[in-house]
Amino acid sequence: MVATMPTIPVRPASWNCASVENLAERTLDGFLRSVERRALRMAELATRNRDEALDLVQDAMFGFVRNYAAKPAVDWPPLFYRVLDSRLHDWRRRRQVRGRWLGAWRHDPQDDGIDAIAQAPDTNDPGPLLRLADGEAASALDAALAKLPLRQRQAFLLRIWEGFDVATTAAAMRCSDGSVKTHLSRALTALRRELEDYA
Amino acid sequence: MNDHLDWTSQAKALLDASADELDAVTLSRLNRARQAALAQRRPAAPRWFFAAGLTGACGLLLAVAVWHGRVGVPPASGDASAVASADDSDPLADDDDFYADLDFYAWLDAQDQDPPG
Repeated sequence: MVATMPTIPVRPASWNCASVENLAERTLDGFLRSVERRALRMAELATRNRDEALDLVQDAMFGFVRNYAAKPAVDWPPLFYRVLDSRLHDWRRRRQVRGRWLGAWRHDPQDDGIDAIAQAPDTNDPGPLLRLADGEAASALDAALAKLPLRQRQAFLLRIWEGFDVATTAAAMRCSDGSVKTHLSRALTALRRELEDYA
Repeated sequence: MNDHLDWTSQAKALLDASADELDAVTLSRLNRARQAALAQRRPAAPRWFFAAGLTGACGLLLAVAVWHGRVGVPPASGDASAVASADDSDPLADDDDFYADLDFYAWLDAQDQDPPG
């Protein structure tokens, strides 16, 4: 679902600054309300921990309001997800450092050289999720998404779930359009493979 | 391609459902986080506001202390009505010995007033 932007009505001449400020705050509140649940799910898929995910979303909200609230409302969705993406990267970096110190650092499979063409799905197949019951499909999808590298997962969630176009996704992820396409292709391939195994 | 669209649209529907079904506690925490983030934009109260408030509170405290002190201390001048209003009770009311010996004190008084001889 694409985040819908509340439209700001034309300001009557009699309104004072406080009214304008209240309206701006209500608009911002409406925007944050429209993205908070999906942001939490994204963070939760990355951290696999709801408390940590809530902390990250709160940090993202603080950073967004502090740095980008004055920007035009139409620019808010990619900017918000850019802040969230940044928080997720910081979280992953901290976790890797902690993992190294604890001797439990594991290899991050992100951007491994998977041959996307070799892994391309069979287009005659009905699709992995269609073969699962609803409850199973939800948990299988969660597990498969959680296994994806951060960049691939973000590309999938922003392009497929949020419905951003390639350029907006690239702006949110601070990378090129080509990188978005590559990450998304790898994500789709990996997700399909994971869900096939699950089915 | 259609297959690809089918399963990704199903994935999208599942993700939508998972976001819609968040529990009340989580939603409450999200709400608090949002309100805290929005509170950053509201201007903080100026410092003079705190100074004025502190001064006012001190003044009020002083006024209460002075008023309380005046009620507690009896007036220095011999204003009979003020004394009476402050304490109308008989200071000897509880002195049973005094009332028991009242006749003796009356006799003693009469002895002092009568000239000797």
